[in-house]
Amino acid sequence: MIVFLARRALGSIGALIGVAVVVFVILHLSGDPATVMMPPEATKAEIDAFRHAEGFDRPLLVQFGAFALDAAHGDLGVSLRHQVPAMSLALERLPATIVLAGTAFAIVVLVGVPTGVLSALHPRTLVDYAARAVALIGQSAPTYWIGLMLILLFAVRLGWLPASGIGDWRNVVLPAATLGFFSTAKLMRLTRAAMLDVLAADYLRTARAKGLTATRVALAHALRNAWLPIVTQLGVELGTLLSGAIITETVFAWPGVGRLAVQAVFERDFPVVEAVVLLAATIFVVLNLIVDLLYAVLDPRIRYA
Amino acid sequence: MQRSFVLLGCAVLAFAPGGPLGAADTTVTITQGVDADTLNPLATTITPTFNVVQHVYERLADFGSRPGEYEPRLAVSWKRISPTTIEYKLRHGVTFSNGDPFTSADVRYTVDWIKNPANTSRQTPYVADIDRVDTPDPYTVRFSSKAPTAIPPGLQNPIFIVDAKYVQAKGNAYIAEHPVGTGPYVLREWKHDDQTAFDANPHWWGGRPKIDHVVFKPIPEAAARVAALRTGATDLITNVPSQYYDQLSSGATTKLEATRSLRQLFIAFNTLQPGPQQNKLVRQAINYTVDVPAIVKNVLGGRGFEQSTPIPPNYFGYDASVPGYKHDPTKAKALLAKAGYPDGKGITLVLNAPVGRYNRDREIAEAIAGQLTSAGIATTVRPQEWVAYSNEVNRRALTPMYELGWNQPSADADGIVTALFTSTAPLSCYSNPEIDKLAEQARGELDAAKRKALYKRIATILDDDAPWIVLFEYQDVYATSKRLHFAPRGDELIRAYEMSVG
Repeated sequence: MIVFLARRALGSIGALIGVAVVVFVILHLSGDPATVMMPPEATKAEIDAFRHAEGFDRPLLVQFGAFALDAAHGDLGVSLRHQVPAMSLALERLPATIVLAGTAFAIVVLVGVPTGVLSALHPRTLVDYAARAVALIGQSAPTYWIGLMLILLFAVRLGWLPASGIGDWRNVVLPAATLGFFSTAKLMRLTRAAMLDVLAADYLRTARAKGLTATRVALAHALRNAWLPIVTQLGVELGTLLSGAIITETVFAWPGVGRLAVQAVFERDFPVVEAVVLLAATIFVVLNLIVDLLYAVLDPRIRYA
Repeated sequence: MQRSFVLLGCAVLAFAPGGPLGAADTTVTITQGVDADTLNPLATTITPTFNVVQHVYERLADFGSRPGEYEPRLAVSWKRISPTTIEYKLRHGVTFSNGDPFTSADVRYTVDWIKNPANTSRQTPYVADIDRVDTPDPYTVRFSSKAPTAIPPGLQNPIFIVDAKYVQAKGNAYIAEHPVGTGPYVLREWKHDDQTAFDANPHWWGGRPKIDHVVFKPIPEAAARVAALRTGATDLITNVPSQYYDQLSSGATTKLEATRSLRQLFIAFNTLQPGPQQNKLVRQAINYTVDVPAIVKNVLGGRGFEQSTPIPPNYFGYDASVPGYKHDPTKAKALLAKAGYPDGKGITLVLNAPVGRYNRDREIAEAIAGQLTSAGIATTVRPQEWVAYSNEVNRRALTPMYELGWNQPSADADGIVTALFTSTAPLSCYSNPEIDKLAEQARGELDAAKRKALYKRIATILDDDAPWIVLFEYQDVYATSKRLHFAPRGDELIRAYEMSVG
């Protein structure tokens, strides 16, 4: 187990370094921040002076070397736009994104999975068809559009919920619903498919023949065996939620990391983009590890050497 | 006993919030598309941030409603004491919100801070005309420039004044989050990307502001901004997409406010790169082909003002006698034939345009390209995202035509001519030694009448040489709640202390 964890840790560090290099190169090739940071009436001399002061006129390799050296000490540089440390900006926004993604994830697990189970247990009934229709909409409609439609209906027309921003529990409802819609739909259909697979198995026939109640059959035996693909997909969906947060946070003016990332990319705020990407990559790596460890818990047949 | 209780009761009622002599606690919420990037007024160059910090900080003087006019703020008066030196008399009895007195030492410190390379301030162009600062006494400050300038040093792009003692004690990182200024409001809290809240400063030298609390709540998505206004979550929104104008002007709780902007949109020819645009006759022909009133009517819904010259009517230096180019297909045809491109045959043009930077920038470019193509001059649009576009503009790489906007808060022709038509300016793809000479002369000409004449000559030369397709000046549209009294400004600054509710 220790060896397994050590190997994973090493691999993760390698992945993070790779991500940092790729993002760095792409960013620096994508544009020159000096011309957008300086006011439009700046002379060439003033723009060049600014570029020199920030070190953007050094060769790319030199710039990357300096960046890598600082990054090894945990210093990811200072935001060009805000002039405060880039990583502290990202970390400050992280809790808001976690609240949003966490609530959306709760919706996915508490709505998507049970709906899929119900659908599988009562196939070809009204419940089944209705659920699958809603799932189809959820997977086809763009998040951006869903968000705006929800705002129009629940905030502008009905006035039940706020249109945007962060605040109390009422502010989380619409963004979380928007963010979670796609993943909930996907999980619902996957759960249904996984359950149907398991329900047809021989050991399920045995369980029913033994005289177990329908509920016990469904939960303790069917769902328990269908969990593996569901958990795998949940792990992937958590990643999808974190990246989908970019759009949802922008539509709902939610002060999270996704919104910060979008702004930073548009403004070529290199240090902030690097910080956000590295933060996201670290989160993905940790989540993947947790999912893998969860397998061992859920399926006694799996052991890690 | 009975009567005094009654009187006491009346007094309490009268002065209670909502009563006739008391004031209801008013809060105004303003929504822009982005949050302030910092609350250090010397570390930013973007209007949304200026809109926020100008509630806490003040300048020596603000631009007035007409070009060349100023409103005294921290300076009560100023006069030239030599062709290169201006002397400001500062306001007495002004304190920063932490109690520090405002003196000339703060002004000097502010200029030095911007010029200090260690601070990598982006505002160095704003103080480029200030060569030396002298502070003969605590309420007098003198700015000197190297050469005489028509606009005195410090008034071309006035800077916000900071508290020298406070900044030196706390450092740049701290003041970016904890602003201390002389202005009508003090910061209550700043939750990044969420809201910035200000409370009225009861000790402001200008008297207590009418609005007690100002909150800035940024919302990046335009449709969400409109929704926030309609639900009453905000009182004012900027950058309203035109498809919402009708809905908002006729809404039960909303209205539109509009004003002529100081921002114009234009198409520049890259005369430095080879191509048909280097031929003056072609440029003139294209100017005659484009129908600007049609574009204003169809793309902007009439919310624009056609111009005949790069110096608009609401700027100093405007001359009404410059004819410009009215839509005239016959003249266009004749010029094209003379240039060797009968009916536009042999010319293919690319119109470079930014996307989402200016109101309807891409649609306007497509409309112009459509007009040119219908007239026989094959033109396609090449749209680009702003930063990539801005990089290419600065490298003078966009050819043969590119779209750009310009807003000059000082409403003075010098800003336009120097930044857009002189040979060394990064944004100019035009080189004419005569214009360079005249521009420098006009910049230093202290006599207003002579200066106007110089700009008339410049405008006449530019009219003939046609380095631009001169288009229009925008009408800026804001949407507000019905209760807000708000008069928009041409320089796009939004000031809560100039608003009232009710």
